[in-house]
Amino acid sequence: MEAREPKEVEDAKTVIFVKGSHTGETVNNAMKELMALKRPHAISFAKKNVVRPFEDSASLEFWSKKNDAPMFVVGQSTKKRPNDLTFARMFDGRLLDMVELGIDNFVGMAEFKTPKATPGHKPMLHFASELFDTHPRFTQLRSMLVDFFNGEVIESISLQGLEHVISITLGPTPPTLNTAEDNTTPLPKVHIRCYTLSLLASGVRIPRVELVPMGPSLDLTMRRHQDADPDLWKAAMKKPKMKKQDVEKGLGKKRKNMEVDDMGDLRGRLHVAKQDLSKLQTRKMKGLKDAFDADGENQRKRRKAVSEEADDDDSGGE
Amino acid sequence: MDVSTLLQAQNDKFKSIEVDKELEIDPGLLLVSDLNPIDAEAYEANLEDHLQSTARDGVQALLAALFSLPIHSSPDGPVAKLPAPTYELPRAKPLPKPKPQTKWERFASAKGIQHSVKDKKVWDEEKQDWVNRWGRYGKNKELEDQWLTEVPANADVDFDPAKDAKTKRKEVIAKNTKQRDANLARAQKAADPKESRKKEIESTLQSTRKSTASMGKFDKKLDGEKKIRGIKRKFEPAEVSAANERKSSLAILAGLEGSSAKKARRAEQDGQGASDVVNVRKAVKFASGGKGSHSLARSASTQKGKTSFKKGKR
Repeated sequence: MEAREPKEVEDAKTVIFVKGSHTGETVNNAMKELMALKRPHAISFAKKNVVRPFEDSASLEFWSKKNDAPMFVVGQSTKKRPNDLTFARMFDGRLLDMVELGIDNFVGMAEFKTPKATPGHKPMLHFASELFDTHPRFTQLRSMLVDFFNGEVIESISLQGLEHVISITLGPTPPTLNTAEDNTTPLPKVHIRCYTLSLLASGVRIPRVELVPMGPSLDLTMRRHQDADPDLWKAAMKKPKMKKQDVEKGLGKKRKNMEVDDMGDLRGRLHVAKQDLSKLQTRKMKGLKDAFDADGENQRKRRKAVSEEADDDDSGGE
Repeated sequence: MDVSTLLQAQNDKFKSIEVDKELEIDPGLLLVSDLNPIDAEAYEANLEDHLQSTARDGVQALLAALFSLPIHSSPDGPVAKLPAPTYELPRAKPLPKPKPQTKWERFASAKGIQHSVKDKKVWDEEKQDWVNRWGRYGKNKELEDQWLTEVPANADVDFDPAKDAKTKRKEVIAKNTKQRDANLARAQKAADPKESRKKEIESTLQSTRKSTASMGKFDKKLDGEKKIRGIKRKFEPAEVSAANERKSSLAILAGLEGSSAKKARRAEQDGQGASDVVNVRKAVKFASGGKGSHSLARSASTQKGKTSFKKGKR
C-alpha cells in the first residue's frame, strides 16, 4: 500500500490494454505492438470486456484503482466505429480525459525487415503540425501521446541508449479549419511512425542522423473525445513547490556561494587559492638582497665572488 | 591544388547536420515539436518519404540539443544530464499531503532543535576501522561482546554483565517501537474522518444540552448520560507581588490597543513603518545606484581615506 501512495515526483504511468466485446485482427495487432513499445509499464487484459468508456467510466475507474494504473487503451471494433482505439487518462482514480482514434491503416513491426529498438529504452518523440499548438483537439492528443509514450521525468539519459523515435505527424491542415467549434471540416489524419536511429559521423561532435523505419506504423482518424473537467484538470496540473534546498542545489541553475543579505544585496563569496608568499616583493633594500642571505649556498657564492674580485685586483695591478 | 577545393571535398564526405527550421525542443522529455504547417505537396507526392524527412529534421535538432547538455562519462557510455521538462503533463495522483509530526518532531520544532543525521558508521579506536553504529557487529553490542567486563562491587553472585547489557539494549529497542506505534496511531486517528466527525457531534450535543432556558439544569436526564464537563476556572491569588501585578496590567493595556496599532508598532520596529517617512531600502538602492548598501559604505570610506592621505603628503 505504501508503494501506491502519492509521490512528489511520479513514476511512469502504467497503461492497461483492454479489449472490448469485439476486436478485429487490426486492433489486436495494434494493441500488441503499442504494448511492446510501452513495456515494462503495461498491463494486458487477456479477456474480452464489455466496456463503453464514453458511456460509463465506472469499470475503468475500478480497474485503475485495482491495478494502480492511471492510463488505458481500449480496443474495440463495432459496425459503427470499426477498428477503434480509445486512449483514456485517470487522475486520482477518476476519469480525466479521453481520445478516440480509428485505425485506417496498420503495418506491424514484422513487416519491416529492419533492426528493432531494445524494449524498455526511452523513445524520443517528434510531433509535426501547427495544429498541435493551436487546435484544442490536437493539443489534447499531443498531451495524451506524450504521457503515453514518455511521461516519466528522468534526471539523465545515456546517449547510447537513444535508439528510436516515435514520430506523430498530421496531414495537411484544411484551409477551412480554423476554429474548434467548426465541426463540418474533417480533421486531418494522424500518422504515427517509429524509426530507429542510425548515427553517422559528421565531422563534428554531433552526429548526423538517418532514420530507418522500424514499425509499427499507424494511420489514424480522430473520432470522439472527452475533455477534462476544468477543476479536475487544475488539480491534476498542480506542481510540487520546489524546496529551497533543491533550488540552491541547482535544479536548473546553480547558485553556489551566493546569498541575499537583509538589505536585499546579493553577496558573493570567492575562494582564492593559497598565495605564494615566497615570491612576494617587499621593500627593496641593500641588506635584503639575495647575496646577503644567511643560508649556506648564497654565502658560498658570495665568498667566491669576493675572491674572484681579489684575483682580478692582483692581476690588474692598479 | 586549391585549398578551398580540398575543404569542399572534405565537407562533401560528411552530410550536413544543420536544420533550418524553427522547432520547439524539450530535452527533459526528449520531445521535439515541429509547429510549422505541413507541406501539402510533399505529403501528397510521397507520404512515407515526407514523414521520414520531417522526423529526421526534428530528431537531428533534438539530438543536437541533447549533445550540448552537460555530459559526463559512465560505465555505460556518455550520460547527459537532462533539465526539468517544460512541457507540462497532468499528474496521476494528487500531491502528497504533509505527514503529521511525531511527538518528538513537535517538541524539537517548539524548542528549535535541529535535526542532524547520524552516520551509519563510527570510528573504532581499538580496531582502527570504521564499524557499524548498529546492526551486524554493531558498536552498540560492544559491551556484550567484550571478553572482560568490570562488575560492580554490589552485584549479585549470578550477575552476567553480557546478559545485562543485552537486556538494556533490547529495552531501548522496545521503547522505540512503542513510541513509533503510538505516533502511527496518533497520525491515523488525526487523519481518520470518522474521528473528527465524532468530535464534531460531541461538541454539537454539548451546546444543545446547554441551550435551554435553565442552561440544561432542569432538563430530563437520560440513563447513562454523562455530566458536561466544562473548563475549570482558575483564580490567581489575591495577593501577588508588585512586579507581577504591573506585568498583568500592562498586558491588559496592550490588548486594548487594538490590532492596527500593534501592527504599526511592529512594523516600526522592523524599520518599515508608516511613521518612517523614508523607505530605507528604496533610499539605499537609489543612493547607491542599485549597487546596494555595502558598495555605498565602501565608496564612502575609500573617498575619506584618499583625501586624508593627500593632506598628509602636503
